[in-house]
Amino acid sequence: MSAGPIVVGIDTGGTFTDLVAIAGGEIRVHKVLSTPADPADAVIRGLREMLAGMAPESVTYSSTVATNALLEKKGARVALFTNAGFEDLIEIGRQNRDDLYALAPSRPEPLVGRAMRFGVAERTLFDGSIIRLLSRAELARIRRLAARSGADAFAICLLHSYANPKGEESIARALAPLGRPLSVSHRILAEYREYERFSTAVVNAYVAPRMSSHLKNLETRLEGARLRVMQSNGSAIGPELARAEPVRTILSGPAAGVIGAASLARAFGVDRFITFDMGGTSTDVSLFDRRVRIRTLSHPDGYAVRTPVIDIHTVGAGGGSIARIDAGGSLRVGPDSAGADPGPACYGRGESCTVTDADLVAGRLVAGNFLGGQMKLYPERAEHALSRLAREMKTNPIAAARGIIRVVNANMERAIRVITVERGYDPRDFAILAFGGAGPMHACELALDLGIRRIVMPRNPGLLCAWGASSAPLGREYSLTVRETNPNYRGLLARAAGLVRRAHAELGAEGAAAIRHELWADMRYRGQSYELEIALTPRFVADFHSTHRRTFGHCAPSAAVEVVNIRIRAVAGMPVARPKRIARQVGKPTPVSSGRVLVGGRERTVPIYERGSFGAGARVRGPIVVVELSSTAYVAPEFTLRVDDFGNLQLEATR
Amino acid sequence: MKLDSIRLAVMNSRLAAIADEMGVVLGQTAFSPNIKERHDFSCAIFDARGELVAQAAHIPVHLGSTPLSVRAAIESLELGRGDVAALNDPFAGGTHLPDLTLVAPVFIGAERRPFAYAANRAHHADMGGIAPGSMALATEIYQEGFRLPPVKIVSGGEIARDVMTLFLANTRVREEREGDLRAQIAALWVGAERLLAIVKTSGRKTVEAAMDGLKDYAERLMIAALAELRPGTYRAEDFLDDDGFGTGPIPIRAAIKIGGGKALVDFTGSSPQVRGSVNANFAITLSATFYVMKCLAAEAVPANEGLMRPIRLVAPPGSIVNALAPAAVAGGNVETSQRIVDVLFRALAKAAPSRIPAASSGSMSNLTVGGFDRFRDRHFSYYETIAGGAGAASGRPGASGIHTHMTNTLNTPIEALEAYYPMRITEYRIRRGSGGRGRARGGDGLIRELECLVDSNASLLTERRTIAPYGLAGGGPGATGMNILLRGTRRTRLPGKTNIDLKAGERIRIETPGGGAWGRR
Repeated sequence: MSAGPIVVGIDTGGTFTDLVAIAGGEIRVHKVLSTPADPADAVIRGLREMLAGMAPESVTYSSTVATNALLEKKGARVALFTNAGFEDLIEIGRQNRDDLYALAPSRPEPLVGRAMRFGVAERTLFDGSIIRLLSRAELARIRRLAARSGADAFAICLLHSYANPKGEESIARALAPLGRPLSVSHRILAEYREYERFSTAVVNAYVAPRMSSHLKNLETRLEGARLRVMQSNGSAIGPELARAEPVRTILSGPAAGVIGAASLARAFGVDRFITFDMGGTSTDVSLFDRRVRIRTLSHPDGYAVRTPVIDIHTVGAGGGSIARIDAGGSLRVGPDSAGADPGPACYGRGESCTVTDADLVAGRLVAGNFLGGQMKLYPERAEHALSRLAREMKTNPIAAARGIIRVVNANMERAIRVITVERGYDPRDFAILAFGGAGPMHACELALDLGIRRIVMPRNPGLLCAWGASSAPLGREYSLTVRETNPNYRGLLARAAGLVRRAHAELGAEGAAAIRHELWADMRYRGQSYELEIALTPRFVADFHSTHRRTFGHCAPSAAVEVVNIRIRAVAGMPVARPKRIARQVGKPTPVSSGRVLVGGRERTVPIYERGSFGAGARVRGPIVVVELSSTAYVAPEFTLRVDDFGNLQLEATR
Repeated sequence: MKLDSIRLAVMNSRLAAIADEMGVVLGQTAFSPNIKERHDFSCAIFDARGELVAQAAHIPVHLGSTPLSVRAAIESLELGRGDVAALNDPFAGGTHLPDLTLVAPVFIGAERRPFAYAANRAHHADMGGIAPGSMALATEIYQEGFRLPPVKIVSGGEIARDVMTLFLANTRVREEREGDLRAQIAALWVGAERLLAIVKTSGRKTVEAAMDGLKDYAERLMIAALAELRPGTYRAEDFLDDDGFGTGPIPIRAAIKIGGGKALVDFTGSSPQVRGSVNANFAITLSATFYVMKCLAAEAVPANEGLMRPIRLVAPPGSIVNALAPAAVAGGNVETSQRIVDVLFRALAKAAPSRIPAASSGSMSNLTVGGFDRFRDRHFSYYETIAGGAGAASGRPGASGIHTHMTNTLNTPIEALEAYYPMRITEYRIRRGSGGRGRARGGDGLIRELECLVDSNASLLTERRTIAPYGLAGGGPGATGMNILLRGTRRTRLPGKTNIDLKAGERIRIETPGGGAWGRR
């Protein structure tokens, strides 16, 4: 590689660990098998193979360590210290159930058992006043309980600690000598609503020891390269914060994917798009409107976590979703999935008729090319599964395949409506960025249903997450509940000063230069209890009214306005590399073969192109099929494909 | 035009998405914690005949009853373009007074007859009456609060000022009511707009066929679910503790006849309506039956009118399950509805013993506190429900501190409640040991204790304080609930239904019932 500092982005997935290295203008990519027992092994091996002895300056990676500890219930033994009388709060949650019509409702087991939840004699009020102060004797008792508990991590959660953290801080000081990770609720999240704050702190404590030892191990083996970890909000943090607050990395992987997509899209001048990542068992969609959209509450595995995450909406349907006719005669696709094993009927092991089988029968998936020909598909098995379903539907297999595709697309359409229309956006103003194994096969018809006229299918879609990690800025995001009615701008700035100092100091300590920050306010009309996030500028009040009108159709300029939380987002830019350009197209692109493909409602003979054979500037009108290593793309007759300078497929509706 | 299996699935998804979207708008723009934090509302789409075709129900008790409201609105008013009907009258399509239903017709182009209706229902924290929250101990509907038969709250796109003024003059917290009402109206416009967008893209004929087809589809799913049950007639009874005025226990009896993919649910033999407010009007009984039947279906059945077609309901007029005016009904919606569910499941347990769970807590443990907040210089009215234990099923212990059956409202965060009301929560925990004992244990109830910081008035509307939630297959019952007044060091047991004045510094402690166990130990 050329001289200059080497910046590396890494994504550790379930099967593969992907790496991207950037130095000067040069880009290298590499892929190794993941090592789930110790993800660091694959990272180190991949780096060695890719860089051949050269030392990277920084390594940013999307880690699944915290996520997996939670999903596999392999987290720490946690002791929780909270107000006496409220020890069960994390178990009661919001007292509701997920499934309204389940005969026997259930909820996830609390991460801290009852015997490890300790009540303490303390009470703070909403205005920060303390009506029951922790005595010295009580703090000594707490330390004794903690020492005897055998816990590997402590969570400290007191009511109203966002308004006055004194109680939580005294407990933290009392427990510090024990040398175990502390999760102090107001430090992670200084916002009101106790259940969500407590739950966040508890999840953090639960995943902390594993993350901590993993990062220590990785840092040692990186021998001096700066290690950075992707947060769920799309920016990266240094190992120190990742160790203390690993809950911030819980959706690290999907966030890296969106950042990767964004960085690519910027290169070709699209700044409003919807990512459509359709995989085997699920599909992720997210909206990018000149910036990522952030959500502050998520529920990984059923546990409330209130840290900023990229607003990604997941649908439990993908290529492996099983289609069937239900007792009422409707075609259902999902939520049951054939997974990877036995997988769709065409994989040769199972019998279930899936979306992938429908795509194959519809000619949009090309059997000889699956995973670049490495995996054999059995079209006759897919046809067999489809005929069985078609008989039940009293139709032919091709019509059944079309039905499955339409029904699964309707599920996707609903998901995209959730992230657009429900949040006040018109999907027609956006492009679709399609990736994942099945995304490019379904994108055209989905776009037509939504009235979307532009689709982009990025080059090397499998590397989007690693690419995203390599281009993620360092970042900090902190918030504070202020609850002020009709506040003035200067006053809010003063209250934000502490957040600003903290973010800048921490970023500076991680070696960041050129730090930029934005302030935001969570606002509502007094009396409402749902907030809109508004940029904190001198015109923030007017912006709130207009955003309220845009989102909900009405506003009340004379009503009292309340600022509930203020928030800082600080980032320090990273050198952003542009993707590699590809050679120009010479002459007209030529298809490698042709196939019978379902176009609209009928089968037609359609040319099949190899993606690698396209040069920049190539132009072909649909209907065509484009094959490549990791996926197949279907271009409907309503679209014309153009290959851009970076090898991305750009589809434009022509009718 | 008949819908094939594909269109059916696609249109089901699209119509349900509209109801969801209306719900998002209503939940996010409303003012009161009850609607925003606790999601005590639902949104729905109806066809031209006023039959339910899609509903985003956050609260099962709204499921079967909203159609009656819509039909009442259509029958009593001539709804034109830009009109919105409002009603809460339990004897003209409503359920209980705090639930305000809004209905808007949806017109295509310049047509004169509505193509469909959008509707929503939200629980308002106050509707006037003798006590804040309008859930007081009352003996007549007139005492419970402001009664609104179907009227036009919006006329030709403009708010009907006279109706609005009259309405607001009769409630305690005007600003909040007005904000909530506007949110309800905004949600209706969104529903109408989205429905018309689908008509534009899919065509009117398709949408109409979808509305009919989805009802037929739900009917077929329901018939299939009923066919799974062993044919026969199954009977059960259970009791409400009392009506708060000395009458009790109050029996509710049901006989469910199953056969040929049909069910006849007959409440003959249930108690006559009573003086206190635990009377259920027909809408409530219909909702509870609707809910139980929907639970029985293994598949997710779309929430629409077709679901109830295979089911015939007999509820004698003038009885506790079909009360007539001017009965007080506030508790019918929140408490009696739960008992009706208990009775129906107890009967069905005989038809499907391994599937049906024991009784859950069987009370929403409704607490309303109101008065003048001298710290904030305003009147306040605060309402909450407190969850209990879920009943155990074969091989599955019941969950603790969870809302079951006809409600699913969230708790109000303590940090929100204390910041906006003159109250303090002094204890909130699981009531250990309150679940029934047996092979699979019933879930435990909750303990919630709150201190009033100003002189206040509190209404309690609670059940299962004397008659315990039953166990099944030899499992023990859940513990009964308890309401306690704490004055200094004095503890006084309060009745299940009461209205009391509290001095600043006094506390109310609610211990909610556990769920019944399943199977002998």
